[in-house]
Parts: sequence; C-alpha cells; structure tokens
Amino acid sequence: MSGQGGAGGQGGTGGTGPRLADLSVGDELPVMTKNASRAQLFLYSAASFNPHRIHYDREYAAVEGHPDILVHGPLQGSWLTQYLTDWIGPRARLRAVTWQNRASAFPEQDLEFHGRVTAVHLERNEVEVEVWEQTADGAVLMPGTATVFLPE
Amino acid sequence: MGGLGGVCSADMATSLIPDETLARVGELLAEPVTVTIDRRESQRYALAVGDENPVYFDEEAARAARHRTIIAPPTFVTHAIVPPRSNDQLRTDGLWRDGSGVRLAVARMMFGGEEWDFLEPVCVGDRITAETRLAGVDQKDGSKGPFVRVVRETTFTNQDGTVVARSRQIGIAR
Repeated sequence: MSGQGGAGGQGGTGGTGPRLADLSVGDELPVMTKNASRAQLFLYSAASFNPHRIHYDREYAAVEGHPDILVHGPLQGSWLTQYLTDWIGPRARLRAVTWQNRASAFPEQDLEFHGRVTAVHLERNEVEVEVWEQTADGAVLMPGTATVFLPE
Repeated sequence: MGGLGGVCSADMATSLIPDETLARVGELLAEPVTVTIDRRESQRYALAVGDENPVYFDEEAARAARHRTIIAPPTFVTHAIVPPRSNDQLRTDGLWRDGSGVRLAVARMMFGGEEWDFLEPVCVGDRITAETRLAGVDQKDGSKGPFVRVVRETTFTNQDGTVVARSRQIGIAR
C-alpha cells in the first residue's frame, strides 16, 4: 500500500520505481524542486540553440514587460519529463505528456513539481497522473497531464 | 455568431491573422528535416536541464533499461531538428526572422505549452525525420488584449520508418 499517500520512490537513478499494484487514484507523487541559476538558463539557451533575449538579457526582457529574465517554456517541460521519468524508474516508459505554460517562471526561484494519480489501468499497465509546477507559495505556473507505462 | 470561448468572429476588423496564414492550416510549414541524434548534443541538453539520468549517459544503464543504446531525453528531438542559421537572420529580440514559418500581424511570441506522445525511445545515432504542419491558428481575447494561438504539429520518424514521437506545440503571439 502507498499508505501515507506517497506513490513510490525515486527510480531514475537505478531504483525500481512504483509498482502498478501499489498505486491508487489520489496517490501523490514525491515533490521535486528546481531552482535555476542565471548561468543555467544561459546554458539551456545555448544547448537548445535558442537566442531569444528574454532568457538572458534583463534589460531587453523589461522592454517586453517582464520583471526579470524568464525560464524557457521547453526547459520547464523537460523538468516535467524528468520529474516523471525519475518517479517511474528506468524500466518504465513515459507514454504521453501535456503541459500549459500559464505564468512566467524566473531564475533563483524555487519551482516545485507535484503530481497525483488520476487513473490506474491494470489491464494495460498504464497510470494517468495530473502534474503541475508551482511556486513555493502555491501559485500554479504550469499544469499538465501524463500517461506512464509500468511493467510488471 | 462566434464569440464563444473568446474566439473572434470573422468580421472582426482587427484580425491579427492574415488570410494567407489561415489558408495554410493543415499544410507542411517546411520541407521535412532529417538529423542524426548526436550524443554530445543530447548530453549537453540533458546537463543544461539538470537531468542526469544514467540512460542518457551510460551504455550499460541504457541496456539495463532495455534500450538498444543510450537514449536522448524525451523532448530533445524537437531541439535536435533546429536548423543551423547565420547571425544575420537574427531579429533584435533574438528570435530568427520567419522562425515560426507563420506570418502574423503580431511579433511577440511566447511559449504556450506542448502535447507529446512518446511511441518509441529515441537512441543516440538514430536518423530522425521531422515533418511539421500548421495544425491550427486562432485569435482569442485575453485579459491583456487579443492574442493569436498557433499550433504546430510535428511527427518524428526514425530510420526504420517507425513514428517515434508526435508533438503539438502551442505558441502565443501578441
């Protein structure tokens, strides 16, 4: 049983991840927190060949009405897939994910990833979860959904 | 008619979507792009994200996870297909000229979200062909004024002809 509402441990670094039979609707995933430095955002711009100035040039970001440089939408999306693949472990598969970038995320800000099981399909080894990124005080920046495949 | 859900009616005088763009819905936005998934580019991407999952770095870990070889992070394919372009194609905001492939009467582009289906893992060394279509474009009224929602759908196919992923990227222009 997942007793305390937890839905299994971190699997990404070699663990086994959650077992399908142990999961129930409403189970919460362990929280992951990210906090990007300005240098990391710059590195992400470079690694994704994305020269958009709102991600590294604070003066220019202000021209577009932003109080600071912004965390890239696709970076937050990749954090979300990391959150899911870390949870399910290496033998499981991330089948689908959706997310909406609703509000801006900034560097040097704690960004929490949360999730909750919304459906368990024992017959096809799939679990659906709702996931979201929020600030430390609970403002949701990026809601999403995912489907994962958990082998026996 | 119209107006439901903030979708503007066709008679709106201030349409931000040129007719030529509306006419392109369903069309390919560019010629298909084929790239080889490069280990260093993939690992640089994973490190910039801060995702050091061993299946992206270690052959044995990848095999233990039942992959052919090292895989790339799930959404890396969308970055792998970004074409190399020269500096003289940069706009003052840092975006590429005509980077979207979609003409609009507004220029400021924000990222609205994505929807992905991951059908097969993408391995380092795979030859991936991407085809991107304009799946939809519509104008809406937001709290900060009108904006245009552009949906681009990309299908990623590997060297065996297997579709490995599909993405729908939502761009917000205002």
